[in-house]
Amino acid sequence: MTSLLRRVKTKLAIHAHRRVRGLLDGEYRSIFHGRTIEFDDLRPYVAGDEPRDIDWKATARHGAPLVRRYIATRKQTVLLLVDTGRNMAALAESGETKSELSVLATGIIGYLALKHGDRLVLVSGDAEHTKFEPPASTEAALERLLRQIDSATTLQAPRSDLTRLLQFVAKSFTRRMIVLVVADDRALGETEARLLRRLSVQHEILWLSVGDADLLAEQWAGQRMHDVATSVALPMYLRADPALRADFDRSVAERRDRNEALFARLRISSARLGSTVDVVPSLLRLLELHRHAKR
Amino acid sequence: MTGEFTNITTLINWWMPGAAALVGAVTLAIVILLRKRRARDDAPSVPIAHADRLTALPSYRRALRRYRALLVGSIAAVLIAVLAGVALAARPAAPALAQPELATRDIVLCLDVSGSMVDYDAQIVDVFAELSSQFSGERLSLVLFNASAVTYFPLSSDYAYITRQLERIRETFETPDETIESGTLLGDGSSLIGDGLASCTLRFDTPEAERSRSIILATDNLVAGDSIYTLPEAGQLAIEKDIRVYGINPGDTLARDYLADLAEEFRTVTEGTGGTYYALDDPDAVPGIVERITAEQAAALPGAPELILGDQPRLPFVLLLLGVLATLVLQWRLRR
Repeated sequence: MTSLLRRVKTKLAIHAHRRVRGLLDGEYRSIFHGRTIEFDDLRPYVAGDEPRDIDWKATARHGAPLVRRYIATRKQTVLLLVDTGRNMAALAESGETKSELSVLATGIIGYLALKHGDRLVLVSGDAEHTKFEPPASTEAALERLLRQIDSATTLQAPRSDLTRLLQFVAKSFTRRMIVLVVADDRALGETEARLLRRLSVQHEILWLSVGDADLLAEQWAGQRMHDVATSVALPMYLRADPALRADFDRSVAERRDRNEALFARLRISSARLGSTVDVVPSLLRLLELHRHAKR
Repeated sequence: MTGEFTNITTLINWWMPGAAALVGAVTLAIVILLRKRRARDDAPSVPIAHADRLTALPSYRRALRRYRALLVGSIAAVLIAVLAGVALAARPAAPALAQPELATRDIVLCLDVSGSMVDYDAQIVDVFAELSSQFSGERLSLVLFNASAVTYFPLSSDYAYITRQLERIRETFETPDETIESGTLLGDGSSLIGDGLASCTLRFDTPEAERSRSIILATDNLVAGDSIYTLPEAGQLAIEKDIRVYGINPGDTLARDYLADLAEEFRTVTEGTGGTYYALDDPDAVPGIVERITAEQAAALPGAPELILGDQPRLPFVLLLLGVLATLVLQWRLRR
């Protein structure tokens, strides 16, 4: 089995343009750590650095742009909250399994966090189990976390229950953390909204929705299909009904809009992942959004 | 008869319907199990989540109802087809009363073609030409005799042919110049009635078959010559062969008193065979006579009406056809 982490790194390397380099270098910190931290030293400006960090006086003296570097006064803890119920073993919009996207996205965020000395905590689970992995800060630990997510998320796993995981997090942690929620296109009801409101006060929340498969897509029109949560089959005859197309699209869009409205209300930065190809761009966009979000 | 019944009762036992139902249920269960296993094993099903995005839609519910109705409909159609098939295989039959003898009559028209008889013969032929259109299964033959008997046409149920032949002989009767003598004058003398009747008794080709046999003998019983059989002897022959002879005698009138003995002999012979004797002087009375003869035959012959079980495949067949058709249409609709 190839290392899951290597795949994550490869994905990042493919996108190794300016912005990724920035993320790996100074940008991540500027996103999550703010600037009220002790000044350390100066270093030459590299593309991607925040212009705000440029020390203009030093630059003037030196002749080339210099940026300030800060020392983190404390280590951040990034809590990876990953649904590993069988919902996540279902197909994503692209036809890949949702867990593939989930592992990749978790890996990227985890890797960035490690690179900046942060600690990782994993809360994963389904309707029957909730697993907590204590703080870790090595690549080996991240690899283990990713494998745990990957192996737990199967079609034989119990049903998904994100609410349970959110409740667990709300109940168990008193420290402020950065919480990355990896979920899917679920409908977020009253209970979830209340939990998120409660959590968003304490934590900084990033929300990743792995896009669910289009049920009416041509791609699997000739195959059987079943809902992993209920094992209920969706008859081919009905999926071929052109009259349902518009209604289905509307219902999917409505659900997404409702969730996004909730996230906007609670100042939760969110992104939707459709396929492994657009995981990195989507994450970059998410981090960008998060940086500019008013806090 | 009882033997057949015991056979049937030993073939069909009380437990058989139950056993058939049991076998059917077990087969159905096995088929369902196999299908389920196969569905689980080799037909990959696309796993998806949050089907409620689709299933919660009112339009989906409507489509599902329609789909279920189609499924139920096609199951019903298959069931109807199967049940109709079972019903067909069971050969549904309805009892019917029938008098099979009437349809198994063999009638030989035995006509004396000596000059005095031609008018009466023509009438008899006319009536039978008309009757043949109502016949079904009866066989008719025409034998002409004078000194010797000639089969004009043998026993046949080909009514088109019979009608043609009767029309032809009718024309011959009406044309004065034409004689129908060919072959009828080979004996010693003329009007050999006994020989004629005896010949007619030989015209029944299936003596072993269970058919009613009758001869309509039109003659004046005026013999001129030496016949091999006398009329009573010929009558005896008919009795032995279980043939009724119906006599039509135009010569038996008061005007021809001298023929009374001959007429009496004729009457005795016909009644001896179980037939009837008619004396008449008007050719126009012949149709009524022939009708009476056939009616009398109908009354005398059939005995007990027979119970016949006739196959009634129409309803199950139509149902089977409709069931199969509906199944095809519904399946096409479902796969569309």
